[in-house]
Amino acid sequence: MTGQYVSPKSAEFQDMAALTLDAALFACEFRLCDTIAEYLATIIGQSHEDPARYANFSSLLANEIVELAFRSVGPRGRIDFNLLKSDACVRMKVGFPLDKHGRDSWSAPAISSGSEGQQPAGNLIMMGQALGVTLSFDSSTDDRVTLIAEFILQEGIH
Amino acid sequence: MSRSLLSFSAEFNDVNQEILLSGRMRPQTVQEMASAAEVIRRNLDGHSNTVYVNTRRLTHINMTAFNCIAEILSSACKADRQRKIVIVTSSVIAWSAPLFRTLASDEPNLLVEIYDSAFYPGQTFVEDESFIPILRTQTKMTWRHERGILGRHGLRDGLAIADICCGIGDFATLIKRHFNPTRLLALDHSRKSLEYARRVAADFGLTSIEYTYGDASQMLLADNQFDFVTCRHSLQIFDRPDVLLRELYRICKPGGRVYITNEKNSHCLGEPHSESIRWTYDQVARLFSHFDMDVEMGPKSRRLLTDAGFDAIQVETFMVTNLDGDPRDFANMIEAWENVYAGQMAVRRGDPPDFIRRFRQGFKDHVLAALHPKGYAGWPIWAASGRKPY
Repeated sequence: MTGQYVSPKSAEFQDMAALTLDAALFACEFRLCDTIAEYLATIIGQSHEDPARYANFSSLLANEIVELAFRSVGPRGRIDFNLLKSDACVRMKVGFPLDKHGRDSWSAPAISSGSEGQQPAGNLIMMGQALGVTLSFDSSTDDRVTLIAEFILQEGIH
Repeated sequence: MSRSLLSFSAEFNDVNQEILLSGRMRPQTVQEMASAAEVIRRNLDGHSNTVYVNTRRLTHINMTAFNCIAEILSSACKADRQRKIVIVTSSVIAWSAPLFRTLASDEPNLLVEIYDSAFYPGQTFVEDESFIPILRTQTKMTWRHERGILGRHGLRDGLAIADICCGIGDFATLIKRHFNPTRLLALDHSRKSLEYARRVAADFGLTSIEYTYGDASQMLLADNQFDFVTCRHSLQIFDRPDVLLRELYRICKPGGRVYITNEKNSHCLGEPHSESIRWTYDQVARLFSHFDMDVEMGPKSRRLLTDAGFDAIQVETFMVTNLDGDPRDFANMIEAWENVYAGQMAVRRGDPPDFIRRFRQGFKDHVLAALHPKGYAGWPIWAASGRKPY
């Protein structure tokens, strides 16, 4: 979404961290968004020359992704948080089940045609563009969506 | 990770005529922004020329809060196109300027500026490269005393340690080599000092020190992270040491200790020429006071730590002297002080040449005392620490 950046191939990534929660548990406590975002951002920051500052930078977008999942997640199933690392970037993936309303709004045409403000991910897209972080969405299965952000380690906080 | 999600504030500073936003602004709903929104709205409405919205200490935000602020600012811009709204950001908070610039693109009378000065009164002096030799020599001379003192204040092997206002990182390097911490973070607001610190650490093969560029009065670090937090010779150059101590307290684990060192410059001494030396260091204290810094802070350490909520407070003093190793080191330190204090600060204050000449003479006499075969020169320091209660 941010132009010239070419995402590394999946084979170039190694697992860094994984967290799975029951979707209903996650959806009942907003405070978890901040806790999980800070946890993930702290790990993302560890790959950077200035861990504390990069953690703060990445936590902004990480938190928005987690909050978006909080607002969109369906009541059944699990939510998965994954961090994967390549030489150049850290990929954050958040996959969660959708409820019926979510399935409609997260369908591919809705995402590609709607204005940013009306999409479920409108705020997130705006933030990603502002911060130069590449975002993508995978909603190929009917009842599940995965949000993906790629934090390029040599950029962002200089 | 234990912080409240609503630990943010919005206030108006009459002195600087600015709206100050600070803390972690991650509300679940826009209703939680009501009081902050009211402060912003009221103070925008009350000013017709230029209004500053200072976000330098706003460490976290979510889009619920951002959209709320954006809407208020946008309305204010449209309501009065003659009024200029300046959003002040800091380069420490890396997301801040890019995010707020998204608003400026739609509103011609809304500007986003990055201010990296005036975090504390002495910043322009302390973060000048010319200060690096002072810091290097000072640490070399104080370490001889502090290595033992630190042990008495609870520092031992295997702790998580933060050195706040680390300067050129030489103290952190010594801590790393002598106390083998499990984690060592070193924070400073001078990019040049941090570059130097990273280079020195690399030269010594020390790869695990986390250097971070930051504002000590609003750190990007979670609560309760460190067993031992050091902040040396730095509280005295902040105009609000209580704010800094609050942050040191916050990042310290319950049961951990915060260790501070400060000076009492008017007690610097030397023989011969004791009168000239005493006069000059009295003037040093007044000069720093002019710039809202308190280099007489040392004996106030106990009160400062107590007021900040620490218990089990320990205070001790030591005197760095010309008899500690090579007297030339002491003399070099005094000459570096003279260059900054008389050569820059007194000039900035607008002191007349006669005053500066006499001011310099005291430093020269202090150097003479340090190098004289029968002379004695001293620089007193207060080392204090307090425990964060469980």
